[in-house]
Amino acid sequence: MARGRWSPAVLVVVAAELACSGGGSGPAPPAPAGARPAGVLTIGALSLSPGREHEVVQPFADYLAARLGEVGIGHGRVVVVESVHGMVEELAAGRVDLYIDSPFPVAFAAEHGSGLKVLLRRWKHGAESYRSLIFARADSGIETLADLRGRMIAFGEPFSTTGYLLPKTALVAAGLQVAGYQDPAAAVPPDRVGYVFSNDAESTVFWVLKGKVSAGAGNEDYFAEMTGERIDELRIVARTPSLPRNLVGARRGLDPAVEAAIVDVLLAMEDDEKGRAVLAAYEETARFDRLPQGEEEALAEVAGLLQFVAEDLGG
Amino acid sequence: MGEPARVPRSWSTGWPRPRLGLRGRFIAFVSAVVIAFGAVLTAFAVKVQNERLRHELEERSKLLTVVAAANATDAMALLEIGELRQLFLEIRQQENVVDVVAFDEDGRILTDGTLKNPRRHQLVAEGVRRHTASSDALLLEFRGAVVEVTKPVILGARRLGGVTLSYSLTGLAEDQSAFTRRTMLVGAVFASLSLLATALLAAAVTRPLREVTAATRALSRGEAAPPLPVRTTDEVGELAAAFNEMTARLRATTVSRDELDLILDTMGECLVVTGVDGTIRRVNKAACELAGVAEEALVGSNCRRLFRAPAGSQSLLHAATADAMAHGLETALQTAAGEAVPVLVSVAPLATPGEQPRGYVIVAADLSERLRVERQKDEFVTMVHHEVRAPLTAVRGAIGLLSGGVAGQLPDSAKELVAIAQRNAERMERLVADILTARKLDAGRMDFQFLEVEPMALVRQAAEACAAYAGKYGVHIVIEGDLGETRVRVDPDRLIQVLNNVLANAVRFSPPGGTVNLHSSRTGSTVRIAVTDAGPGIPESFRDRVFEKFARADDGSWRHRSGTGLGMSISKAIMEELGGAISFESAVGAGTTFFVDLPAAN
Ligand SMILES: Nc1ncnc2c1ncn2[C@@H]1O[C@H](COP(=O)(O)OP(=O)(O)O)[C@@H](O)[C@H]1O
Ligand SMILES: [Mg+2]
Repeated sequence: MARGRWSPAVLVVVAAELACSGGGSGPAPPAPAGARPAGVLTIGALSLSPGREHEVVQPFADYLAARLGEVGIGHGRVVVVESVHGMVEELAAGRVDLYIDSPFPVAFAAEHGSGLKVLLRRWKHGAESYRSLIFARADSGIETLADLRGRMIAFGEPFSTTGYLLPKTALVAAGLQVAGYQDPAAAVPPDRVGYVFSNDAESTVFWVLKGKVSAGAGNEDYFAEMTGERIDELRIVARTPSLPRNLVGARRGLDPAVEAAIVDVLLAMEDDEKGRAVLAAYEETARFDRLPQGEEEALAEVAGLLQFVAEDLGG
Repeated sequence: MGEPARVPRSWSTGWPRPRLGLRGRFIAFVSAVVIAFGAVLTAFAVKVQNERLRHELEERSKLLTVVAAANATDAMALLEIGELRQLFLEIRQQENVVDVVAFDEDGRILTDGTLKNPRRHQLVAEGVRRHTASSDALLLEFRGAVVEVTKPVILGARRLGGVTLSYSLTGLAEDQSAFTRRTMLVGAVFASLSLLATALLAAAVTRPLREVTAATRALSRGEAAPPLPVRTTDEVGELAAAFNEMTARLRATTVSRDELDLILDTMGECLVVTGVDGTIRRVNKAACELAGVAEEALVGSNCRRLFRAPAGSQSLLHAATADAMAHGLETALQTAAGEAVPVLVSVAPLATPGEQPRGYVIVAADLSERLRVERQKDEFVTMVHHEVRAPLTAVRGAIGLLSGGVAGQLPDSAKELVAIAQRNAERMERLVADILTARKLDAGRMDFQFLEVEPMALVRQAAEACAAYAGKYGVHIVIEGDLGETRVRVDPDRLIQVLNNVLANAVRFSPPGGTVNLHSSRTGSTVRIAVTDAGPGIPESFRDRVFEKFARADDGSWRHRSGTGLGMSISKAIMEELGGAISFESAVGAGTTFFVDLPAAN
């Protein structure tokens, strides 16, 4: 039970650690044979739960670092920050070498001066990509996004890509004006689409089913499971474009040799047993691969949608 | 019975039964009882504990459900499924919680506290739905060891649905294992303590028994058993006391039996105890010695071989009837040397009155000695008769001739000497005659010629016969009384002999010039002849012995002592043969009266 919470004292310790960690891994001298190279690879993570994040990411960081001896890396470490802005700062300062996250925050970091470069795609939770559905009760009369005007839609969590960011981009891209509310029962002006956060994908489904809100949005992958036998009571009003599940970004200025070595190690992870075990433990990652349309292109696509939700990421 | 050979050995009785001593059986029995009791007690304790636990768990399940429902109310009202999931996840992690679900007013499951929530949207059971739609009370449904508690969730007037908690009643794992451990430990301690106690008790109980056994063995070996300690007043103590009593009695019996053996062996008569069939069971020393056979050889043989049948009986034992004893049987005992020893036998049946005899007791007295004495007496008498009487008669005849002047006129001095010789010869003749008469009477060889006579005639004859003798002492014999026609049936010579004896005594003891009264009378059918003198009387101390042979009172007077001491004894024997009696009355210094009584014949 204590796992979900992180006491202020621990946060202070983590912050102190961050402050002392200094610069990243500059050009490292070749490691003497048999001894561990002194170079450190730092992986950044965005979370309000630094403890849990460390637990999940550290084995991955260790695995990676252990295979980068040739490029002078001997240690892997994890830095957790609470906001995208924080991450931008860490990247810009060279204190985080790799940033692996959902496409919007990664794109946001890239767009906001971190000089982040996308290296690979990560199949988090076994999925290469994801998208959102916007749904309403089948008997609600809502058939298009435009029918949502003057109505209330429920999103999931404020930082969720599929629960909020992606469906919101869909609404905005469809030319609708959205307005956030606290109370699902609030009156929404006819020219607006009101939204509330249910903060839970399950709640979203129940809210729609029970008419607490007119529509809801969520990850397509879980829709069938969430609605179960009541799926027929719902109508899918819209599907958003797909986004890569996770992107692996590297800070500007990282040694190209290190960068190349990282890419090699990550791509090869699914090929050996130890690698697969570490992947599975790392949020059920199926593999790392190159983006089919190319890294630059993929980032551009995300960046194209980011404009509609940049403010939600703190922009 | 068909094929006994095919019966498996273990079923046959040929196997030795496992043997447990009393102590072993005692321990086994008490242990079994104690363990059974313990098991029942433990089972009962476990049952009670389980029921208590079950009740407690039921209460907990209700409480937990109520708490869950209360905490879930807001989240259910707002459909905050995430919050509800979080809450239920916490409940789910409580001990004994098997399942927990929240469902809406339609009875559709909202969450079970898991992320997967596989029953999402599914309807809960009809009964639960109906209950939730109408009640706000708890609904308890038992499914084996699990209770399902449903609490309807109501906010104000709104029925939001309900919470169902499935709770295991099989006990809190810790509680139950701790209880089991404790129960087992207590059980083990209890069992070992009771086993120990049983062993001690068994030892205490069997110790006196072992002591009794050892003492009994000692007794049977003939050793002296020391008295057992009586430690307690209970049954065990009683046993020891009873045993001590028994040994004491046994010792007493043994002692008295030893005494009896000693007595029987010391007695002169032969003792033979037989069974009903005459088989000798025991004999005393005298019997063995007389028969000249060892005890071992006599015991077991039949008494027929030892005793001849008495005259007129088929066998010795036939002489004794089943319930009465036979006395004075004369028979002979057969010795090992082939001699037949004359014996006088008594046979008594060995029986408690009214029962069949278990055997016979034979007591035999050796008669050979008595017979030998009799024989010697006879030989003596014969000798006296031939060797004393005949020469004495010749001596008296010769003296008679001398005093009669056959050898010429004797000078006065010689006359005196011849007179002395004649007196003494007569006296000796009397003595011999008396001895011969007495012996004849003793041996039953005296002939009696009974005649009916008038006793007065005999009285007169007797008085006349004594007159000369009385005259010598100046004593008068006075005949008194009259019997008239009375007659008696007697041997007249013998009666006269008795009267002579009595009269002679009376004369002899009378003072010179005294009178002897001879008085005859009849009272009823008894004829009495009383002879009274005025002599010195018979001393008190001598009266018992008057009729004994050779008995004479010594009063210092030669004249008085001149008798043989046989007269009265002969007279008594004759009077008995005549069917009468003789007795006397005497007063010292005043005189004596002898009574001769006879039955009258008419
Ligand atoms: N009339 C009597 N007066 C006193 N004593 C008598 C008389 N008759 C018998 N006795 C006593 O009884 C004894 C036994 O008598 P008896 O047998 O006739 O023997 P004996 O006449 O030869 O002495 C006498 O010696 C005497 O002591
Ligand atoms: Mg006499």
